[in-house]
Amino acid sequence: MSIQDDINIYGKRRVLYAIITLTIFLYLGRLYQLQYIYADEYGKKSEENSIRTIPKEPIRGYVYDRRGRLVVDNRPAFTVSIMPFEFDKRNTDLLASILQVEPAYVRERVKKGEQYNRFVPAKVKRDIDFKILSALEEYRDQLPGVDYQIESKRYYTTPARASHILGYTKEISETQLKSLGEGYTQGDVAGATGLEAQYESALRGQKGAEFSTVNVRGQVVGRFDNGKHDVPSVEGDDLLLTMDFSLQTLAESLFADKRGALIAIDPQNGGILAMLSKPDYDLSLFSGVTPAEIWHSLNTDEAHPLFNRATLTRYPPGSTFKMILAAAALENKIVSPSWRITCGGSFRMGNKIFKDEHVHGSVDMVDAIKRSCNVYFYQLMLKVGLDSWSEYGSKFGFGKPTGVDIYEENPGLLPTTEWMNKRYGENGWTRGFLPSLGIGQGELGVTPLQMALYAMALGNKGHYYRPHAVQGIIRKATHDTVKIAHDQRTISLKEDTWRVIREGMRGVVQEPGGTGGLARVKGVESGGKTGTAQNPHGKSHAWYIGFAPFENPKIAIVAMVENVGYGGSFAAPIAGMCIEQYLYGRLIRFDKDVQAKSPIAQSSLTKEKNITSSSQAKTPGVH
Amino acid sequence: MTSYFREHIDFTTGLTTLALVVVGLISIYSATFDAHASDVSVKQLMFAGIGLLILVVMTFLPFKLLQFISYPSYFLSILLLVSVLILGKTVSGSTSWFNLGAFRLQPSEFTKITTALALATYLSRTDVNLQRFNNLAVATGIVLLPTALIMMQPDTGTAMIYAGMFVPVLYWGGATKFTLLSVVAPVAAAVAALFGITPFFITVIVMGLLIYITKENRILAAVVFSATVLVGISVQFIYEGLKPYQQKRIATFLDPNADPLGAGYNVLQSKVAIGSGGLLGKGLLHGSQTQLNFIPEQWTDFIFCVIGEEFGFIGAAVVLGLFVTLLLRGVRLGSIVKNKYGSTLAIAITAIFAVHVFMNVGMSVGLLPVVGVPLPFLSYGGSALLTNMVMIGILMNLYSNRKEY
Repeated sequence: MSIQDDINIYGKRRVLYAIITLTIFLYLGRLYQLQYIYADEYGKKSEENSIRTIPKEPIRGYVYDRRGRLVVDNRPAFTVSIMPFEFDKRNTDLLASILQVEPAYVRERVKKGEQYNRFVPAKVKRDIDFKILSALEEYRDQLPGVDYQIESKRYYTTPARASHILGYTKEISETQLKSLGEGYTQGDVAGATGLEAQYESALRGQKGAEFSTVNVRGQVVGRFDNGKHDVPSVEGDDLLLTMDFSLQTLAESLFADKRGALIAIDPQNGGILAMLSKPDYDLSLFSGVTPAEIWHSLNTDEAHPLFNRATLTRYPPGSTFKMILAAAALENKIVSPSWRITCGGSFRMGNKIFKDEHVHGSVDMVDAIKRSCNVYFYQLMLKVGLDSWSEYGSKFGFGKPTGVDIYEENPGLLPTTEWMNKRYGENGWTRGFLPSLGIGQGELGVTPLQMALYAMALGNKGHYYRPHAVQGIIRKATHDTVKIAHDQRTISLKEDTWRVIREGMRGVVQEPGGTGGLARVKGVESGGKTGTAQNPHGKSHAWYIGFAPFENPKIAIVAMVENVGYGGSFAAPIAGMCIEQYLYGRLIRFDKDVQAKSPIAQSSLTKEKNITSSSQAKTPGVH
Repeated sequence: MTSYFREHIDFTTGLTTLALVVVGLISIYSATFDAHASDVSVKQLMFAGIGLLILVVMTFLPFKLLQFISYPSYFLSILLLVSVLILGKTVSGSTSWFNLGAFRLQPSEFTKITTALALATYLSRTDVNLQRFNNLAVATGIVLLPTALIMMQPDTGTAMIYAGMFVPVLYWGGATKFTLLSVVAPVAAAVAALFGITPFFITVIVMGLLIYITKENRILAAVVFSATVLVGISVQFIYEGLKPYQQKRIATFLDPNADPLGAGYNVLQSKVAIGSGGLLGKGLLHGSQTQLNFIPEQWTDFIFCVIGEEFGFIGAAVVLGLFVTLLLRGVRLGSIVKNKYGSTLAIAITAIFAVHVFMNVGMSVGLLPVVGVPLPFLSYGGSALLTNMVMIGILMNLYSNRKEY
């Protein structure tokens, strides 16, 4: 049977045709009603409907030092923005002349904003001065889509720069925009280096939004729904540092005309007390808009001021490394502490001659450390061998990252047999390479930070804490200080080993004939070691590592001055003054009757401990 | 050669479809322009390409083969629906997706076709007569099984498509007015019940009168009438038991102004978008509503707003014109195809398209409640686009073979 045999088929078809046509006509009628009869009304609604979201930048968290002093503050700054959709491109030249920038720059920012979202204001210029602001206000009616917002910029309260450790904030790059993800838009500012970058998520806070009703010309008609839907921004959390900015300030002044690095660390917990890398730069250059010339000059400066030498540069440690070799020898019972050699000023191996600075005569291990006898350690290195030496170097944290909470670091280089085989080929190196390593020269490369931790571990007999500059985060919402737990490990050496190498280090500072006498601090016994590291860049690097007081040290320190000469002459006095500043709270060496006063260090340290623990209750009296 | 093509290829259907796909791609491009979803239009373009290929394949598929695979494909899709319930991925509260690497597959889309195929196969049997109760029951069962499975996902919109397809097919297949009424009356009562007591009573009275006029058997008439009343009353109870978002959708439909920032937001914004488009529209990429993304995920169910806002009344009318061409052409095909299977299939497929278009546009212009039903060829969605292309391919195949028995 064919379907057409159904006599009703054409009748049914008519019914279906009618239903379809009628429904479509009903919809057309509705469209006509919406789009013709009520078009004006809906058109108006659609205009009113333009709700503009104005992002509210959160106030970035503050930074306090260990005594609760505010070191990084915020100041208001005005930022000009353009909403690309509303901006009339014919006004580019006018706007550029008001903002005192090139028209091409404005064009580029608008273009970038367009690519991101034509309805989101793109920031064009940060931190404009009052003159620009008033000019902008004057031309406002002629510049639809141009607006300004109040943002905060960083303000540094102390004379210390601490450039590398604090770090700066910067407008985020496109790659960062992708990696940071949610909550960031083009033109936002984020931590770029140092603690600002490392603790970005804590410091930043949360963006808020204000909803305004805007007419077609982009003028704000009013708050949308009386601001009922506005989302307030959430202030960023504050950082409570382990740093002591009095010490930082002094350390920086001592390095005023030098290149190098200094790190002071609390041997009780690994908290960084001071860290500098010289030359440095003024962080406030980065707080607003950084002019291209400044960027250029900082980037092209042959002294690399942007580079954090304290964590990123690999230096030969020189004689400061000798305690590693001593520890390896004593632990493996290769020699006893009383093993002696006679130093004639040089050591001959085959046709190679290894030099020493002086003729030390007959020396045992304690003497060799104290007077920094190279010949002793050349010979000791040949007895100990590369494997055992690098094993103990690794125990003290060399050749690997320290895990510090300051952005980037270099792991350094601790040569091992495997490494030497790779570098020179299995038969390409001989025992002749060893003596240099034994006195901290050759391939060995360390960062000043690793040296500070080495000093810390020598001072507290093997407690190796992860170094950190932030001890806690002060939550804005609750004012609680959330302490950050930092892991630790123990380098276990025999008590006798500790005794011998530490005795050598005590001799360096405290005894006549020690190379580090200039690090001596009145009223406090301390231990240390000097180093004078030869390098291909000119005069030797001057090193000093130390800790004080000798028992239960409160500070471990490393000072490294590039290309000046003897560690004992150039680095030791700087370290000494820093120890003095930290333990006494000021420099006492110019006082007349020092002996009469006992060190006030204890009391000042207790006081500051009270402050940090009381900060749990509230942000210590600043803002 | 030319005459062969004219005889065998339904150019009207083909070109109309192509035009709709192009309009869809443009609208999706515009809707996603500033919504950080630029890959959406690229994906859709890719699906359109695959879809065209499938359309061609379906057009030239041997007609007998289509008939042959009807039942197996139906059972396969039922199997898929069951397994998606067990294994599927939950997207915004509804389990209807299969994850196939980068793509997600929605079996409920393809099931539309297989249900139409199975229904057409069953109804074209010479021994089947829709006036007989048990034949009607089997036909109802074929449609009800996937409907129930999809309701469980739950995907109300898609489930309603099946119901919407069933009535025209019954009508076409020769069911009596009374039979049709016994399907329609309870549904009408249920919808009316949501509006309140008065609309419910009016509907019950009207339906009662119609049942009385068309009745063939008093007892059956009484059963249908009481079913209508019972369904209406129980809807009230079911409504209480609905998930809050479902309740809200219904309440919003009844009064979109009540909660403009909540569930009514889409409806209101959609009307504002369309209304503000005016006669000629604001121009591509210049619809402030569309570009400001006032309507979330506009490129899916609310794509018609983009057309209304950016191309105005003229643009919307052209799109509706394209759809009406497609639908009338489908009905006409139903009446000229010689064999019953093809005829029923043509009506079923046309009905599926019709329900989609009517529900989606009705929702966008604020005449129908917001249920997630995509606009064929225009809304973003790979599974839906492929399904629609297969269905057009089948229509073109039927046209090509219309003279065969």
